[in-house]
Amino acid sequence: MNDPLKLALAEALLCLADDELVLGHRDSEWCGHAPIIEEDIAFANIALDEIGHAALWYREIAALRGQDRDSYPDQLIYFRLAADYCCVQLVEYPPGDWAFSMLRQYLFDSAELLRLQGLAESRHAPLAQVAQKVVREEIYHLRHTRAWITRLGLGTEESHRRMQDALDLLWTPAQQMFMPLPKEELLVEEGLLPESQPLREAWDEQVRSHLQEAGLQPPAVGEIPQSRRSHTPHLEVLLRELQSVARSDPQAEW
Amino acid sequence: MPDTQWSRYHVFLQSKENEPHLEVGSVHAPDPEMALQNARDVFVRRPDCLSLWVAPADQILHMTGQEVDNWSPPEDLPAEGPNLYHVFCKTVSAGTAELAGEVRAGTRAEALAAALSRFPFKPPPFTWMVVPEAAITRSTEEDVGPMFAAARDKPFRQSSYYHVISEMRAARKKQDGG
Repeated sequence: MNDPLKLALAEALLCLADDELVLGHRDSEWCGHAPIIEEDIAFANIALDEIGHAALWYREIAALRGQDRDSYPDQLIYFRLAADYCCVQLVEYPPGDWAFSMLRQYLFDSAELLRLQGLAESRHAPLAQVAQKVVREEIYHLRHTRAWITRLGLGTEESHRRMQDALDLLWTPAQQMFMPLPKEELLVEEGLLPESQPLREAWDEQVRSHLQEAGLQPPAVGEIPQSRRSHTPHLEVLLRELQSVARSDPQAEW
Repeated sequence: MPDTQWSRYHVFLQSKENEPHLEVGSVHAPDPEMALQNARDVFVRRPDCLSLWVAPADQILHMTGQEVDNWSPPEDLPAEGPNLYHVFCKTVSAGTAELAGEVRAGTRAEALAAALSRFPFKPPPFTWMVVPEAAITRSTEEDVGPMFAAARDKPFRQSSYYHVISEMRAARKKQDGG
Protein backbone atom coordinates (compact mmCIF):
# COMPACT_ATOMS: atom_id res chain seq x y z
CA MET A 1 0.00 0.00 0.00
CA ASN A 2 1.42 3.43 -0.91
CA ASP A 3 1.54 6.23 1.62
CA PRO A 4 -1.41 8.33 0.39
CA LEU A 5 -3.56 5.20 0.50
CA LYS A 6 -2.38 4.37 4.00
CA LEU A 7 -3.25 7.87 5.18
CA ALA A 8 -6.65 7.72 3.54
CA LEU A 9 -7.38 4.42 5.23
CA ALA A 10 -6.26 5.85 8.58
CA GLU A 11 -8.63 8.78 8.08
CA ALA A 12 -11.57 6.46 7.46
CA LEU A 13 -10.69 4.23 10.42
CA LEU A 14 -10.53 7.28 12.65
CA CYS A 15 -14.24 7.80 12.00
CA LEU A 16 -15.03 4.28 13.13
CA ALA A 17 -12.70 4.51 16.13
CA ASP A 18 -14.22 7.79 17.30
CA ASP A 19 -17.74 6.36 16.96
CA GLU A 20 -16.79 3.43 19.17
CA LEU A 21 -14.95 5.50 21.74
CA VAL A 22 -17.67 8.08 22.22
CA LEU A 23 -20.46 5.51 22.29
CA GLY A 24 -18.47 3.35 24.72
CA HIS A 25 -18.04 6.39 26.97
CA ARG A 26 -21.76 7.16 26.82
CA ASP A 27 -22.57 3.54 27.67
CA SER A 28 -20.17 3.63 30.60
CA GLU A 29 -22.19 6.48 32.10
CA TRP A 30 -24.82 3.85 33.00
CA CYS A 31 -22.36 2.06 35.24
CA GLY A 32 -23.96 2.04 38.69
CA HIS A 33 -27.26 3.41 37.31
CA ALA A 34 -28.73 0.62 35.17
CA PRO A 35 -32.19 -0.67 36.15
CA ILE A 36 -30.87 -3.88 37.72
CA ILE A 37 -27.43 -5.10 38.75
CA GLU A 38 -27.24 -7.84 36.10
CA GLU A 39 -27.93 -5.28 33.40
CA ASP A 40 -25.44 -2.90 34.97
CA ILE A 41 -22.77 -5.56 34.51
CA ALA A 42 -23.95 -6.44 31.01
CA PHE A 43 -23.99 -2.86 29.75
CA ALA A 44 -20.69 -2.02 31.42
CA ASN A 45 -19.27 -5.04 29.55
CA ILE A 46 -20.64 -3.68 26.30
CA ALA A 47 -19.15 -0.25 27.09
CA LEU A 48 -15.76 -1.85 27.67
CA ASP A 49 -16.06 -3.84 24.46
CA GLU A 50 -16.76 -0.70 22.44
CA ILE A 51 -13.85 1.17 24.00
CA GLY A 52 -11.72 -1.92 23.37
CA HIS A 53 -12.73 -1.89 19.69
CA ALA A 54 -11.84 1.79 19.50
CA ALA A 55 -8.41 1.00 20.97
CA LEU A 56 -7.85 -1.67 18.29
CA TRP A 57 -8.70 0.79 15.52
CA TYR A 58 -6.54 3.56 17.04
CA ARG A 59 -3.62 1.14 17.08
CA GLU A 60 -4.18 0.34 13.41
CA ILE A 61 -4.29 4.06 12.68
CA ALA A 62 -0.97 4.46 14.51
CA ALA A 63 0.54 1.72 12.35
CA LEU A 64 -0.79 3.27 9.13
CA ARG A 65 0.57 6.68 10.11
CA GLY A 66 3.91 5.28 11.18
CA GLN A 67 3.34 6.21 14.80
CA ASP A 68 3.89 4.27 18.01
CA ARG A 69 1.03 1.81 18.56
CA ASP A 70 1.09 2.19 22.33
CA SER A 71 1.37 5.92 22.90
CA TYR A 72 -0.31 7.35 19.79
CA PRO A 73 -3.85 6.19 20.68
CA ASP A 74 -3.64 8.18 23.92
CA GLN A 75 -2.58 11.23 21.93
CA LEU A 76 -5.60 10.86 19.69
CA ILE A 77 -8.04 10.28 22.51
CA TYR A 78 -6.89 12.75 25.14
CA PHE A 79 -5.36 15.62 23.21
CA ARG A 80 -7.62 16.18 20.22
CA LEU A 81 -10.22 18.95 20.28
CA ALA A 82 -13.90 18.20 19.73
CA ALA A 83 -13.64 19.80 16.27
CA ASP A 84 -11.00 17.22 15.30
CA TYR A 85 -13.14 14.27 16.33
CA CYS A 86 -15.07 12.65 13.50
CA CYS A 87 -17.75 10.63 15.28
CA VAL A 88 -21.38 10.70 14.15
CA GLN A 89 -23.81 12.79 16.17
CA LEU A 90 -25.79 9.67 17.11
CA VAL A 91 -23.16 8.65 19.65
CA GLU A 92 -22.77 12.11 21.16
CA TYR A 93 -26.17 12.48 22.80
CA PRO A 94 -26.34 12.00 26.58
CA PRO A 95 -27.63 8.60 27.70
CA GLY A 96 -31.29 9.67 28.07
CA ASP A 97 -33.50 6.95 29.49
CA TRP A 98 -32.93 3.22 29.26
CA ALA A 99 -35.04 2.94 26.10
CA PHE A 100 -32.93 5.63 24.42
CA SER A 101 -29.62 4.02 25.31
CA MET A 102 -30.75 0.49 24.36
CA LEU A 103 -32.16 1.64 21.05
CA ARG A 104 -29.07 3.68 20.20
CA GLN A 105 -26.89 0.69 21.01
CA TYR A 106 -29.09 -1.56 18.90
CA LEU A 107 -29.06 0.78 15.89
CA PHE A 108 -25.30 1.15 16.21
CA ASP A 109 -24.53 -2.54 16.75
CA SER A 110 -26.61 -3.65 13.82
CA ALA A 111 -24.80 -1.16 11.58
CA GLU A 112 -21.41 -2.02 13.01
CA LEU A 113 -21.91 -5.74 12.55
CA LEU A 114 -22.62 -5.25 8.84
CA ARG A 115 -19.62 -2.98 8.38
CA LEU A 116 -17.35 -5.38 10.27
CA GLN A 117 -18.45 -8.27 8.10
CA GLY A 118 -17.31 -6.18 5.14
CA LEU A 119 -14.07 -5.15 6.85
CA ALA A 120 -13.33 -8.80 7.63
CA GLU A 121 -12.84 -9.19 3.85
CA SER A 122 -10.53 -6.19 3.58
CA ARG A 123 -7.45 -6.57 1.43
CA HIS A 124 -5.42 -5.00 4.24
CA ALA A 125 -4.76 -8.10 6.34
CA PRO A 126 -4.31 -6.46 9.79
CA LEU A 127 -7.66 -4.72 9.33
CA ALA A 128 -9.39 -7.95 8.30
CA GLN A 129 -7.95 -9.71 11.35
CA VAL A 130 -9.18 -7.08 13.79
CA ALA A 131 -12.62 -7.11 12.18
CA GLN A 132 -12.88 -10.89 12.45
CA LYS A 133 -12.08 -10.69 16.13
CA VAL A 134 -14.48 -7.86 16.88
CA VAL A 135 -17.35 -9.34 14.91
CA ARG A 136 -17.91 -12.09 17.47
CA GLU A 137 -18.53 -9.54 20.20
CA GLU A 138 -20.92 -7.59 18.06
CA ILE A 139 -23.03 -10.68 17.45
CA TYR A 140 -23.42 -10.94 21.18
CA HIS A 141 -24.13 -7.21 21.67
CA LEU A 142 -26.77 -7.33 19.03
CA ARG A 143 -28.44 -10.30 20.64
CA HIS A 144 -28.55 -8.46 23.94
CA THR A 145 -29.87 -5.14 22.69
CA ARG A 146 -32.28 -6.84 20.30
CA ALA A 147 -33.79 -8.75 23.20
CA TRP A 148 -34.34 -5.46 25.02
CA ILE A 149 -35.90 -3.73 22.00
CA THR A 150 -38.46 -6.49 21.65
CA ARG A 151 -39.29 -6.58 25.35
CA LEU A 152 -39.59 -2.82 25.74
CA GLY A 153 -41.42 -2.38 22.45
CA LEU A 154 -44.00 -5.03 23.33
CA GLY A 155 -43.90 -4.42 27.10
CA THR A 156 -46.12 -1.93 28.88
CA GLU A 157 -47.75 1.17 27.45
CA GLU A 158 -45.01 3.25 29.05
CA SER A 159 -42.10 1.13 27.78
CA HIS A 160 -43.58 1.17 24.28
CA ARG A 161 -44.05 4.94 24.40
CA ARG A 162 -40.47 5.47 25.56
CA MET A 163 -39.13 3.22 22.80
CA GLN A 164 -41.14 4.98 20.12
CA ASP A 165 -40.03 8.39 21.46
CA ALA A 166 -36.41 7.22 21.33
CA LEU A 167 -36.86 5.94 17.79
CA ASP A 168 -38.37 9.27 16.71
CA LEU A 169 -35.27 11.02 18.06
CA LEU A 170 -32.61 8.58 16.89
CA TRP A 171 -33.75 7.50 13.44
CA THR A 172 -32.41 10.50 11.53
CA PRO A 173 -29.04 10.77 13.34
CA ALA A 174 -28.58 7.00 12.83
CA GLN A 175 -28.59 7.53 9.03
CA GLN A 176 -25.34 9.48 9.35
CA MET A 177 -23.51 6.20 10.04
CA PHE A 178 -23.89 5.42 6.34
CA MET A 179 -22.71 8.70 4.87
CA PRO A 180 -19.63 7.86 2.77
CA LEU A 181 -16.41 7.90 4.78
CA PRO A 182 -13.60 10.25 3.72
CA LYS A 183 -12.05 9.06 0.41
CA GLU A 184 -14.44 6.13 0.48
CA GLU A 185 -14.57 5.70 -3.28
CA LEU A 186 -10.83 5.17 -3.51
CA LEU A 187 -10.73 2.85 -0.49
CA VAL A 188 -13.59 0.74 -1.77
CA GLU A 189 -11.98 0.51 -5.20
CA GLU A 190 -8.79 -0.77 -3.55
CA GLY A 191 -10.74 -3.45 -1.70
CA LEU A 192 -9.94 -1.97 1.69
CA LEU A 193 -13.40 -0.99 2.95
CA PRO A 194 -17.00 -1.99 2.24
CA GLU A 195 -19.09 0.66 0.51
CA SER A 196 -21.51 2.49 2.83
CA GLN A 197 -24.57 2.68 0.62
CA PRO A 198 -25.21 -1.10 0.30
CA LEU A 199 -24.61 -1.37 4.05
CA ARG A 200 -27.35 1.20 4.58
CA GLU A 201 -29.75 -0.79 2.45
CA ALA A 202 -29.04 -4.05 4.26
CA TRP A 203 -29.30 -2.30 7.64
CA ASP A 204 -32.52 -0.55 6.77
CA GLU A 205 -34.21 -3.77 5.75
CA GLN A 206 -33.01 -5.73 8.75
CA VAL A 207 -33.68 -3.04 11.35
CA ARG A 208 -37.10 -2.11 9.99
CA SER A 209 -38.28 -5.69 10.10
CA HIS A 210 -37.11 -6.12 13.66
CA LEU A 211 -38.55 -2.80 14.83
CA GLN A 212 -41.83 -3.79 13.27
CA GLU A 213 -41.80 -7.07 15.22
CA ALA A 214 -41.31 -4.95 18.34
CA GLY A 215 -44.34 -2.80 17.42
CA LEU A 216 -42.21 0.26 16.57
CA GLN A 217 -42.50 2.52 13.56
CA PRO A 218 -39.50 4.47 12.22
CA PRO A 219 -40.39 8.09 11.40
CA ALA A 220 -39.62 9.83 8.10
CA VAL A 221 -35.92 10.62 7.76
CA GLY A 222 -35.20 14.28 8.50
CA GLU A 223 -32.11 16.29 7.72
CA ILE A 224 -29.06 14.04 8.07
CA PRO A 225 -25.90 15.69 9.43
CA GLN A 226 -23.59 15.81 6.39
CA SER A 227 -20.17 16.19 7.92
CA ARG A 228 -18.44 14.12 10.54
CA ARG A 229 -16.74 17.33 11.63
CA SER A 230 -19.95 19.00 12.71
CA HIS A 231 -20.91 18.07 16.24
CA THR A 232 -23.57 18.62 18.84
CA PRO A 233 -22.56 20.69 21.88
CA HIS A 234 -22.69 17.44 23.88
CA LEU A 235 -19.40 16.18 22.45
CA GLU A 236 -17.36 18.98 23.95
CA VAL A 237 -18.86 18.40 27.39
CA LEU A 238 -18.16 14.68 27.11
CA LEU A 239 -14.55 15.21 26.03
CA ARG A 240 -13.93 17.72 28.81
CA GLU A 241 -14.65 14.96 31.28
CA LEU A 242 -13.00 12.14 29.34
CA GLN A 243 -9.82 14.17 28.82
CA SER A 244 -9.65 15.99 32.15
CA VAL A 245 -7.29 13.64 33.98
CA ALA A 246 -4.85 13.18 31.09
CA ARG A 247 -4.77 16.91 30.43
CA SER A 248 -4.18 17.77 34.08
CA ASP A 249 -0.71 16.21 33.73
CA PRO A 250 0.17 15.54 30.08
CA GLN A 251 3.62 14.21 31.00
CA ALA A 252 2.33 11.58 33.41
CA GLU A 253 3.08 7.96 32.60
CA TRP A 254 0.24 5.46 32.98
CA MET B 1 -43.28 -4.09 50.54
CA PRO B 2 -43.72 -6.07 47.32
CA ASP B 3 -40.60 -7.54 45.74
CA THR B 4 -39.68 -5.34 42.80
CA GLN B 5 -36.99 -7.73 41.59
CA TRP B 6 -37.42 -9.99 38.61
CA SER B 7 -37.54 -13.74 39.23
CA ARG B 8 -34.38 -15.47 40.28
CA TYR B 9 -32.78 -18.11 38.08
CA HIS B 10 -30.07 -20.52 39.19
CA VAL B 11 -27.12 -20.76 36.84
CA PHE B 12 -25.22 -23.95 36.02
CA LEU B 13 -21.99 -23.83 34.07
CA GLN B 14 -19.94 -26.48 32.32
CA SER B 15 -16.40 -25.31 31.66
CA LYS B 16 -14.87 -28.34 29.93
CA GLU B 17 -16.04 -31.31 27.96
CA ASN B 18 -16.72 -34.41 30.08
CA GLU B 19 -16.94 -32.31 33.22
CA PRO B 20 -20.21 -31.93 35.11
CA HIS B 21 -22.22 -28.71 35.25
CA LEU B 22 -21.61 -26.73 38.44
CA GLU B 23 -24.05 -24.43 40.17
CA VAL B 24 -22.30 -21.04 40.03
CA GLY B 25 -24.93 -18.70 41.48
CA SER B 26 -28.09 -16.95 40.41
CA VAL B 27 -29.31 -13.99 38.37
CA HIS B 28 -32.52 -12.01 38.17
CA ALA B 29 -34.28 -11.85 34.82
CA PRO B 30 -37.73 -11.25 33.33
CA ASP B 31 -37.64 -14.46 31.27
CA PRO B 32 -35.39 -17.47 30.52
CA GLU B 33 -33.72 -15.97 27.43
CA MET B 34 -32.69 -12.86 29.37
CA ALA B 35 -31.63 -15.09 32.28
CA LEU B 36 -29.26 -16.89 29.94
CA GLN B 37 -27.83 -13.60 28.71
CA ASN B 38 -27.48 -12.22 32.23
CA ALA B 39 -25.82 -15.46 33.31
CA ARG B 40 -23.31 -15.04 30.51
CA ASP B 41 -22.47 -11.52 31.63
CA VAL B 42 -22.25 -12.27 35.32
CA PHE B 43 -20.52 -15.65 35.25
CA VAL B 44 -18.80 -16.22 31.90
CA ARG B 45 -16.85 -13.16 30.95
CA ARG B 46 -13.58 -14.54 32.30
CA PRO B 47 -13.73 -18.30 32.86
CA ASP B 48 -14.02 -20.95 30.18
CA CYS B 49 -17.54 -22.01 29.39
CA LEU B 50 -18.93 -24.67 27.09
CA SER B 51 -22.52 -24.71 28.24
CA LEU B 52 -24.84 -22.72 30.48
CA TRP B 53 -28.13 -23.81 32.00
CA VAL B 54 -30.57 -21.54 33.79
CA ALA B 55 -33.63 -22.66 35.77
CA PRO B 56 -36.15 -20.62 37.81
CA ALA B 57 -35.21 -20.83 41.50
CA ASP B 58 -38.80 -21.49 42.52
CA GLN B 59 -38.91 -24.65 40.40
CA ILE B 60 -35.85 -26.17 42.05
CA LEU B 61 -36.10 -28.31 45.18
CA HIS B 62 -33.21 -27.10 47.31
CA MET B 63 -32.46 -28.77 50.65
CA THR B 64 -29.56 -28.72 53.06
CA GLY B 65 -28.11 -32.00 54.35
CA GLN B 66 -29.65 -31.22 57.73
CA GLU B 67 -33.09 -30.67 56.22
CA VAL B 68 -32.75 -33.96 54.37
CA ASP B 69 -31.87 -35.73 57.67
CA ASN B 70 -35.13 -34.51 59.19
CA TRP B 71 -37.17 -35.14 56.07
CA SER B 72 -39.64 -37.95 55.57
CA PRO B 73 -39.41 -39.10 51.95
CA PRO B 74 -42.66 -39.88 50.15
CA GLU B 75 -43.83 -43.42 50.91
CA ASP B 76 -44.50 -46.20 48.38
CA LEU B 77 -41.96 -44.71 46.01
CA PRO B 78 -42.57 -45.89 42.44
CA ALA B 79 -39.49 -47.39 40.78
CA GLU B 80 -39.46 -44.68 38.13
CA GLY B 81 -41.60 -41.73 37.12
CA PRO B 82 -42.38 -39.89 33.89
CA ASN B 83 -40.19 -36.79 34.48
CA LEU B 84 -36.46 -36.27 34.24
CA TYR B 85 -34.66 -34.47 37.10
CA HIS B 86 -31.04 -33.36 37.36
CA VAL B 87 -29.61 -33.79 40.84
CA PHE B 88 -26.84 -31.50 42.08
CA CYS B 89 -24.92 -32.13 45.31
CA LYS B 90 -22.51 -29.96 47.20
CA THR B 91 -20.00 -32.31 48.80
CA VAL B 92 -17.20 -29.89 49.77
CA SER B 93 -18.03 -27.21 52.34
CA ALA B 94 -16.27 -24.40 50.47
CA GLY B 95 -17.30 -25.84 47.10
CA THR B 96 -20.34 -25.59 44.92
CA ALA B 97 -23.12 -27.97 43.91
CA GLU B 98 -22.03 -30.34 41.16
CA LEU B 99 -24.20 -32.41 38.84
CA ALA B 100 -24.34 -35.89 40.39
CA GLY B 101 -26.67 -37.42 37.84
CA GLU B 102 -30.23 -37.81 36.59
CA VAL B 103 -33.24 -39.60 37.99
CA ARG B 104 -36.73 -40.22 36.60
CA ALA B 105 -39.58 -39.61 38.98
CA GLY B 106 -43.11 -38.25 39.28
CA THR B 107 -42.37 -35.25 41.51
CA ARG B 108 -39.34 -33.35 42.81
CA ALA B 109 -39.73 -34.95 46.23
CA GLU B 110 -39.83 -38.41 44.67
CA ALA B 111 -36.77 -37.48 42.65
CA LEU B 112 -34.91 -36.47 45.80
CA ALA B 113 -35.91 -39.70 47.54
CA ALA B 114 -34.64 -41.66 44.52
CA ALA B 115 -31.44 -39.61 44.44
CA LEU B 116 -30.72 -40.33 48.10
CA SER B 117 -30.47 -44.02 47.33
CA ARG B 118 -28.92 -43.63 43.86
CA PHE B 119 -26.12 -41.28 44.98
CA PRO B 120 -25.01 -42.54 48.42
CA PHE B 121 -22.36 -39.89 49.14
CA LYS B 122 -20.20 -40.50 52.25
CA PRO B 123 -20.12 -38.15 54.10
CA PRO B 124 -23.58 -36.90 53.06
CA PRO B 125 -23.66 -33.74 50.88
CA PHE B 126 -24.08 -30.29 52.41
CA THR B 127 -26.87 -29.45 49.98
CA TRP B 128 -29.09 -31.17 47.42
CA MET B 129 -30.70 -29.49 44.42
CA VAL B 130 -33.30 -31.22 42.28
CA VAL B 131 -33.78 -29.43 38.95
CA PRO B 132 -36.63 -30.52 36.68
CA GLU B 133 -35.50 -30.98 33.08
CA ALA B 134 -38.59 -29.03 31.97
CA ALA B 135 -37.43 -25.97 33.93
CA ILE B 136 -34.02 -25.71 32.23
CA THR B 137 -33.13 -23.33 29.42
CA ARG B 138 -29.79 -24.15 27.82
CA SER B 139 -27.26 -22.37 25.69
CA THR B 140 -26.84 -24.03 22.31
CA GLU B 141 -23.71 -25.05 20.44
CA GLU B 142 -24.12 -22.00 18.20
CA ASP B 143 -23.97 -19.81 21.31
CA VAL B 144 -20.46 -20.96 22.21
CA GLY B 145 -18.75 -18.65 19.69
CA PRO B 146 -20.53 -15.34 20.15
CA MET B 147 -21.50 -15.77 23.80
CA PHE B 148 -18.51 -17.45 25.36
CA ALA B 149 -15.49 -17.52 23.05
CA ALA B 150 -15.52 -13.74 22.62
CA ALA B 151 -14.60 -13.30 26.28
CA ARG B 152 -11.73 -15.75 26.23
CA ASP B 153 -8.90 -13.69 24.74
CA LYS B 154 -9.69 -10.46 26.57
CA PRO B 155 -6.74 -8.88 28.29
CA PHE B 156 -7.48 -9.26 31.96
CA ARG B 157 -5.48 -7.59 34.66
CA GLN B 158 -5.93 -8.16 38.35
CA SER B 159 -6.11 -4.94 40.34
CA SER B 160 -2.66 -5.77 41.77
CA TYR B 161 -1.20 -5.28 38.26
CA TYR B 162 -1.41 -1.53 38.69
CA HIS B 163 0.61 -1.32 41.96
CA VAL B 164 -1.68 1.51 43.04
CA ILE B 165 -0.99 1.17 46.75
CA SER B 166 2.79 1.04 46.47
CA GLU B 167 2.79 3.87 43.89
CA MET B 168 0.65 6.03 46.14
CA ARG B 169 2.90 5.32 49.11
CA ALA B 170 5.96 6.24 47.07
CA ALA B 171 4.26 9.42 45.84
CA ARG B 172 3.28 10.41 49.36
CA LYS B 173 6.76 9.70 50.69
CA LYS B 174 8.24 11.87 47.96
CA GLN B 175 5.75 14.63 48.73
CA ASP B 176 6.44 14.45 52.49
CA GLY B 177 10.19 14.36 51.85
CA GLY B 178 10.04 17.35 49.49
